Order: sequence, then structure tokens, then C-alpha cells
Amino acid sequence: MKIWTSEHIFNHPWETVATAAWRKYPNPHNPAVIGTDVIERKVVDGVLHTQRLVSSVWYFPKWAQALIGSAKVCYAAEHSEVNPHNRHMILKTINLTFCRHIAVNETLKYIPHPADPSKTLLKQEATVTVQGVPLTNYMEDMLTKRISNNAGKGRQAMEWVINKINEEVKDFTESADEILHHTKKSLDDLTFSAKKSMDDISQKAKRSWEDMPHLKINSNFSEC
Amino acid sequence: MNSIGEACTDLKKEYDDCFNAWFSDHFLRGRTNDSICAPLLKVYQHCIKKAMKEQNLDYDEVRKDLLGTEKEKIPPVEANKKSKS
Repeated sequence: MKIWTSEHIFNHPWETVATAAWRKYPNPHNPAVIGTDVIERKVVDGVLHTQRLVSSVWYFPKWAQALIGSAKVCYAAEHSEVNPHNRHMILKTINLTFCRHIAVNETLKYIPHPADPSKTLLKQEATVTVQGVPLTNYMEDMLTKRISNNAGKGRQAMEWVINKINEEVKDFTESADEILHHTKKSLDDLTFSAKKSMDDISQKAKRSWEDMPHLKINSNFSEC
Repeated sequence: MNSIGEACTDLKKEYDDCFNAWFSDHFLRGRTNDSICAPLLKVYQHCIKKAMKEQNLDYDEVRKDLLGTEKEKIPPVEANKKSKS
């Protein structure tokens, strides 16, 4: 068994990172992940529990294919818990496809940075166990290296998603500003035309009034 | 992001959009009622179940970890008491 651990700090608040974690795939850094499906999801005592099926394409070196088989699409089960009260997001992933020979258990923890709550600390751990095939040690090393390499890509992917979300928010704010500006302009136009029409009407009314010859309202009233 | 079943991808996208909005606008602000996306999740899950069956994947195997975790939280004696009461 090989154990691999790593820590990383995101310069973003936990809420941003947690939101981005749900939208991590697809991204250009992890093209191997081709699908995520929600199998089960529920809120229990304010904590969000999710069970997802993650589909990814794995390419093994030729020598390993002879031992494991040239797996095309691999499946993994991911169980996650999000607790918004203590700002914890934990994701645990286990592979489903090679259960006979290989067990990869991966845990990701997103928590507020203890020294600076405006930042997020990612704690990552993976255990790799290969059993029942020759070259166990080589296989474990190969998978551990791959996990380490993928972890770097995963962080880049998270930054990419966060940036994308921030851009969307910016676009939304900009379009909202534009709508407000247009609305104000239309209202101004409307007020101007309305005022103009009113002026026209009163002008015309005044003129018609003046044009009416010998109209004696007062005398008409007194006759009633 | 795609779904395991090609036919489910549109349903997945619709549900994911709903969930992402709910997660940031409701859940992270302490409003945990998730009924708003429930109808979309139901239709989407129905589609995945079918797709997984076609690809010989066990739906319950992926699901059981979550249920197992819950069972672990309550010792069997406690759970029995609970079900009897």
C-alpha cells in the first residue's frame, strides 16, 4: 500500500471553492473525466450528502495493460458531505472497475484556512493498494505518481472554474447594469415624448379654445 | 459534463443548473429545503438507472456507500429500538 498526501491553499473563500468543486468538470486540465452522475443526494441535519458516479478514461502503459487489461472507461463512486455551518466539504472516491486487483481511495477536504478564513485549505490524501498481480510495487508507484500528477491538474482546474464563475458573475452584473441603463433611457425617452405630447395637446387645446368663436360657458351654466 | 447515458445528458444539464443555483443561493445561505430541484432529479435519476443497467453497472453498489455510512452512525441496537418505536 502507498499513501500520498498533499496540501494546497486557494486564495478564495470556502464558499467560492465549494461552489466551484461542483462545477469542476468538464475542464481543459482533466480531459480524462468524461462524466459525473448524481446517484443519490439528500440533506440530513443541514449537511448535504451526495453519491456520484464518476466516469473517466484511463490509459495504461502497454506493459501494465497485460496485467490489468486495457481498461477504457473506468468508474468510481464519490461520496461527499458539505456542511455549510462549519464550512467543510469532504469528498471520498473509490474506484469501482478494478476492485479485484487495485484499490484507490482518495479523500479531498476543503476547509477554511486556520490562519486566514478568507482562504481555503485543500487537504488531499490517497491510498493505493495493488494485490494479486505481479510487480505490485511498480504498479503502486505508477498509480501514486499518476495521482500526484493529476492532483496538480485538479488544482489548476479549480482555479480555471473559479475564474469562469467570476467572469459569469461579472457578465451578469454588466448585463444587469446595461438593462438598468436601457430602462432608464427608455423611461427618459418616454417621459420626454409624453411631456412633448402633453405640451402638444395642451397647445392644441388652447388653440382650439381660442379658435372657438363666441363661446359663453358662464352664461350656459347660469341657464341650467 | 456528460452523463453515463447519452440520452440523460440533457436531463443532467437541466438538473445541474438547478442544483448549482440552489447550492449557492439557498444551501450556502442556510436554506436547506431542496424540494425546488427534486422533480428534475427524479426524472434524471430514472434515466441513469436505465443507462447503468444497459452498461452492466450496479446502481445499488454505487449507492450503498452512502446508506452504509448512515447505518454506521446508529448502532444496530439503537436502530432496532428506533424502528420498533
